[in-house]
Amino acid sequence: MGIALRNGALALGALGTAFLAGCVSEPAPAPVVAAPSVTSDQLVGKWGLAAYHRDSDRPRTVKEALAQCNKPYVIRKGPNGGVMMYLADQPQLSELVLKAGPDGVTYLGPPGAAGTADDRQISNIDADSFTTIWVDPDNAGRYGTMVYERCGKRA
Amino acid sequence: MRVRLGYFARATAATALAAAYFLPGVFATAQQVDMNAVDQPGYQPTPDEEQLSGAYERQEVFFRTTEAPGTIIIDTKGRFLYLVQPNNRALRYGIGVGRDGFQWSGLQKVSRKQEWPDWRPPPEMIERQPYLPRFMAGGPGNPMGARAMYLGQTVYRIHGTNQPQTIGHAVSSGCFRLVNADVSDLYDRVSVGTKVVIKQAVAL
Repeated sequence: MGIALRNGALALGALGTAFLAGCVSEPAPAPVVAAPSVTSDQLVGKWGLAAYHRDSDRPRTVKEALAQCNKPYVIRKGPNGGVMMYLADQPQLSELVLKAGPDGVTYLGPPGAAGTADDRQISNIDADSFTTIWVDPDNAGRYGTMVYERCGKRA
Repeated sequence: MRVRLGYFARATAATALAAAYFLPGVFATAQQVDMNAVDQPGYQPTPDEEQLSGAYERQEVFFRTTEAPGTIIIDTKGRFLYLVQPNNRALRYGIGVGRDGFQWSGLQKVSRKQEWPDWRPPPEMIERQPYLPRFMAGGPGNPMGARAMYLGQTVYRIHGTNQPQTIGHAVSSGCFRLVNADVSDLYDRVSVGTKVVIKQAVAL
């Protein structure tokens, strides 16, 4: 009886180990990363840039962004297919690329993995406007949500 | 009070300190005026950072003047703003003032009051720091702070700040800054039309 119990326990243990091994060795399914839904060409141009921290300020911030086209934020095409923009607190231009995150979010940042600290999320994009918010919480807290409105767009 | 210079300030202070700017004249809006080397748009100070101590803490003091109660008197050299009270008393607030070359004297009145004023960095600042938004809606973290009181038709004002460590220093482009709790306190005590006397120094 004792032997039978011990053998049973061993068998269950082996079975459990097999399951455990199966769980461990089974590779996690790779995230399906779609191509970014935005192209860098969509970002090229002159933009009025404004920011807000409270969602209730968004409508007037959009208007203010348009009013800032006398001091436009200029985005040019980069030599490697990206766009030339500024990182947070960096007065030198960097070439940034669009990156699709596994969460369906499109990121804009240096080449590499999506969603890193130097990236910003990009949203609400159409031909004449887009919105960004920094992934880095400190930058996001300081700069808030940034609205880009294309200068010279049709009313 | 702990002095905090964040990444933004460290990254920009060297160039900003060397590049003084000024926007007098009819084209400068009030929001454009007061910005300096250590401002950090979006930075939200902690309550500890906003708590002033010593002479710059808001307090009632003996103050002899011929000005009527309710008058604001600014002592640029002493870095104090006085709100005259009856019986030779005044409420005294610690302030930040214009840096060298940006200080001024005169007689003004509060022409407008604004809660959570917006901020528009001047073109010179955009040139140095082109990553900045050209407009930032008023709110916590805005360099203009919680309240603003505009001085006559000038581009100057008394306003709050998100940089409490600048109180007691000559840092601005001519505006007078208080910590947000103080500017809110002052805002609630004064009305449009309040007389404001800006002096280089005040003899007590």
